[in-house]
Amino acid sequence: MKTKTWLAAGLLAAIAFTPSAYAGGTLRLDEVAVGELDPAKASDYADSILMFNVYDTLVLPRQGGAGHVPHLASNWEIDGATYTFNLRDDVAFQSGNPLRAEDVVYSVERMTALGAGYSYLFRGVTATAVDSLTVSFTLETPYSPFIAALVRLPIVDKALVEDNKGNEEWGETFLSSNGAGTGAYIVTSHNPQEETVMTKNDNYFLGVAEAAPDTVRLRYGLEAATVRTLIARGEHDIASQWLPPEVVRALSEDGAQLFSETGTGAFYLKMNTTKPPLDDVNCRRAFAAAFDYDTAIQMIAITDDVSAGSPATGAIPVGMFGANGPERVQTQNMEKAREYLATCAYDPAEISLEVSWIAEVPLEERFALLFQSNLAQLGVQSEIIKLPWALFSEQVSNPENTPHFSQIFVNAVTGDPDTLLYGMYHSTSAGTWQSPENLNDAEVDAYLEEGRTATTEAARETAYSKLNTRLMDLAPTIYGFDRQSIFAASNRVNAPAISDPSQAFGLDGMGFSFRLMEVVDD
Amino acid sequence: MIRTLRIVGQNPLSLLGLILVALVVLAAALAPWISPFPSHNGAVVDFVYANQGPTARNWMGTDLVGRDILSRILYAYQISLFLSLVVLAIAPPVGTLVGLLAGYMGGWVETILMRIVDVFLSIPPLVLAIAMMGVLEPTLTNAMLAVTVMWWPWYARLVYSLARSEREEGYVLAAEVIGASTAHITFREILPNCLPAIITKMTLDMGFVIIIASSLSFLGLGVQPPTPDLGSMVAEGARYLPDSWWLTVFPGLAILVAVFGFNLLGDGLRDLLGVDE
Repeated sequence: MKTKTWLAAGLLAAIAFTPSAYAGGTLRLDEVAVGELDPAKASDYADSILMFNVYDTLVLPRQGGAGHVPHLASNWEIDGATYTFNLRDDVAFQSGNPLRAEDVVYSVERMTALGAGYSYLFRGVTATAVDSLTVSFTLETPYSPFIAALVRLPIVDKALVEDNKGNEEWGETFLSSNGAGTGAYIVTSHNPQEETVMTKNDNYFLGVAEAAPDTVRLRYGLEAATVRTLIARGEHDIASQWLPPEVVRALSEDGAQLFSETGTGAFYLKMNTTKPPLDDVNCRRAFAAAFDYDTAIQMIAITDDVSAGSPATGAIPVGMFGANGPERVQTQNMEKAREYLATCAYDPAEISLEVSWIAEVPLEERFALLFQSNLAQLGVQSEIIKLPWALFSEQVSNPENTPHFSQIFVNAVTGDPDTLLYGMYHSTSAGTWQSPENLNDAEVDAYLEEGRTATTEAARETAYSKLNTRLMDLAPTIYGFDRQSIFAASNRVNAPAISDPSQAFGLDGMGFSFRLMEVVDD
Repeated sequence: MIRTLRIVGQNPLSLLGLILVALVVLAAALAPWISPFPSHNGAVVDFVYANQGPTARNWMGTDLVGRDILSRILYAYQISLFLSLVVLAIAPPVGTLVGLLAGYMGGWVETILMRIVDVFLSIPPLVLAIAMMGVLEPTLTNAMLAVTVMWWPWYARLVYSLARSEREEGYVLAAEVIGASTAHITFREILPNCLPAIITKMTLDMGFVIIIASSLSFLGLGVQPPTPDLGSMVAEGARYLPDSWWLTVFPGLAILVAVFGFNLLGDGLRDLLGVDE
């Protein structure tokens, strides 16, 4: 108790000088390692933060509403499967080179050639420079959420990369440690395991407010206890969303602010459908019915009115095309679980299941223990395995090495359901960290294709709704809860683009556009 | 026996050691009967009581999934003691055999055996264990294997140096003169004279093996959940400092008590058996 009093006293002292004016000091935050700086390889939250600050995209999600607004583009036209963008003529890269249509073409080509990160969004897209400030994209197959996908196409400085690429065709080495964008922040040092330091780009085409941080230190892989202590001592500003709820609660009780980013994703226990006994649909249904959803929801509550998630109603998060209504909230049903298990081809007494959890996300260990006890109630043995993220994302490339159950948080990377579900369930997407299910189902594939090609909202709604029903029937995944990211923050910062719904982008990580944050002077 | 107890009794520190060791051993042996929540040893969660400090119900508080920490510590002692006993049942005999042969026979036997020992001793013990655990799967058996592999060379080294000096003693020469076999001389003449030192080292090592095993599981390389283990309890709790201090402090104290007890007892035995440092 004494420690707590001290900390509280320390924090009170820190709060005592309430920020009167935001003046652009240093912003310190953390994320899970590694920080991938190459925009063509970026895939997780840390990478997104880097991508959205060092690079810009043609369009941005509209703040506080649906749809997209021009950003590097000044306007666009859609003609069937051809999208033509006029670029702003006042944009320069951080190197001083002006932004040209050929940079956009180069960025698409580089992305698809490397085939990593979000490149799957741009498969079959041909970009052509019509003139120096006009670029057109032709899609091989219709893809209705294409505009949304463009928020994942960071524009790279072609001339700079060409000058520095050495023997490599696409300059991977250069771009993995240097920025080559137009973004509001310039990378001054980058160590993917430790820290990226960025400073304000004074020549940013939209200008950067005085109050926005001058310097940003994004640190990787800090321990929860370290973050807890640093924030209490006023030496850290925004904690990653991966802090356990207890720690976030303790910080909030000590006076830290809580930013909630309403996401477009969920928490999943993904079953490897290629590995016995999970290749039997009834076994999968049994395990999905046995999971204690209510307790999972209790575990993520932070304060009485802030929680890191809400109950799942099916395979698609509430608020997206095809989501089920609240009457379909998932609950534990042991009776049903036993019925399904009885029809499963495998003998439950001989089953031993691996339940993995990501070492950087301590909360998942508790879900593992919860699920293990649920399985024990069914008479099924299980083993808990702790996997660091780097090891996990490597292991899933081979279904044999993929654990029976993988716990994953996934978000729609462009805000569109296609980018949540296609990468998880289409048979061609199997074997990534988003798809450890390795699902191969023709019906699912068909609905996914229909969802991305249908041109009207009603048709997309129908396709995703059918997909939802099919997925609930196939049970490749246990849909834990729809999630919300909670960030504990010091009182030195203000981040309306994360926490204020009227200014939020509705796209995970984009709220961390530092140019829209405010920090007191240090 | 009475003399032993009296001598131990005269040294209050070794008496304390004996009491602590007795407590730890009793706690482990009686865990199923004395622990308040015996089922918390396994795959059980009880979120109603999760993450609570010490209360009348849970004297040492509960962990993040509501398991009683006291119960888990008692069961963790079982694992720690079992692991230490297995390691100390394998490592000292192997090391002693190697040391005796090398020390008594000399020549190429000595050269080969002791160079092998040197190779093992040149690798920092924890690094060797981590490397082994990295290759193998993290299980209790493999943890025991890893600790055993890093432990036997120390006994080989100890017995070797003892055997070397005993080799020149009059009683060994006398045995050689009357034509005793190598086996007889090493095991019946030299070994009994090395035993006090070996036993003392084993007692001291109980504590060190517990520490090393806990370090391995602290790093996530030892016993896997839900099996309780002191090292992993400390590791898990460390994330929630300083707020949920009971998660770390009590398992940490439990390690301290066991290691401290065995060390004090080992010191006492050393005095009792007249072993030089």
